[in-house]
Amino acid sequence: MNPIPSATIHDDVEEVLLSGERIQARVAELGAQLAGDYAGRDPVLVSVLKGSIVFLADLVRQMEIPLSIDLMEVSSYGASTESSGQVRILKDLSMAIDGRDVIVVEDIIDTGLTLNYLLRYLHDKGPASIRICCLLDKPARRLADITIDYRGFTIPDRFVIGYGLDYDERYRNLPYIGVLRPSVYGAGPPEG
Amino acid sequence: MARILDYYQVAWRYEPDIFPISWNVDGVVVESFAPDFYLPEVDLYLELTTLKQSLVRRKNRKLRRLRQLYPEVRVKLFYARDFKSLMLKYGRLDFLADVTAMNGNGPLNAVSGGED
Repeated sequence: MNPIPSATIHDDVEEVLLSGERIQARVAELGAQLAGDYAGRDPVLVSVLKGSIVFLADLVRQMEIPLSIDLMEVSSYGASTESSGQVRILKDLSMAIDGRDVIVVEDIIDTGLTLNYLLRYLHDKGPASIRICCLLDKPARRLADITIDYRGFTIPDRFVIGYGLDYDERYRNLPYIGVLRPSVYGAGPPEG
Repeated sequence: MARILDYYQVAWRYEPDIFPISWNVDGVVVESFAPDFYLPEVDLYLELTTLKQSLVRRKNRKLRRLRQLYPEVRVKLFYARDFKSLMLKYGRLDFLADVTAMNGNGPLNAVSGGED
């Protein structure tokens, strides 16, 4: 039997971990820091679909310097239907980054496996530099050596949603970062 | 776990090293610890734990001993809850249901057994 759809997306949130106001304040700080560090360097902000788009959209509006934006999409283990599949680029860069200063903008770094793959890929494109800016750092299960240059928040080992982050493609439109009620995934993915 | 590492093109070796952690009075090794995986690119050992609490306690004790004796060795313990979180992140709770039905290092058994 399918679970009854929630009345609003907020009903599936067990706890608000980071309020919208707190996120906006921190994003403004990160934007100002990046704008200062990259003044006169015309950086390219490379973001990874889909989770990072909300963060990217807010971040660039806090950076009042010339910059470019590009988007990539990388396949996820979860979406793989082949037991022997390998990660691949689903959407490549649309501009050349050789000789450019690249800032990789990530929503969350957990194991670091996706980012580790992406960094190797980007390095082969010959950028002048690559730095990492992430909103959320969840270091508990890190399996790759990732140096985070700009970090919004370090969060505990909880399953978080909102502000771009999803569960089963839902909850990206929450204006805050919340913890998903276990009953949502314990009873199977939400239906609607 | 092996399948996830392969997916993201992370090099790994299965139980490549055995660390003695206890000796008898004659100097004979009576207990050792062989972490499940070694990730050479990050110089990190990875140990997966079972859902059985008694085995988790034993493994925690062995890990503490390993860290005392070999402080330069980097070992990360992956609890069953960590694996569950990973599967939740990847939207693969169906796979977890298979894993939790097993004893011992369920995720590893699932891979070495060639099951899907």
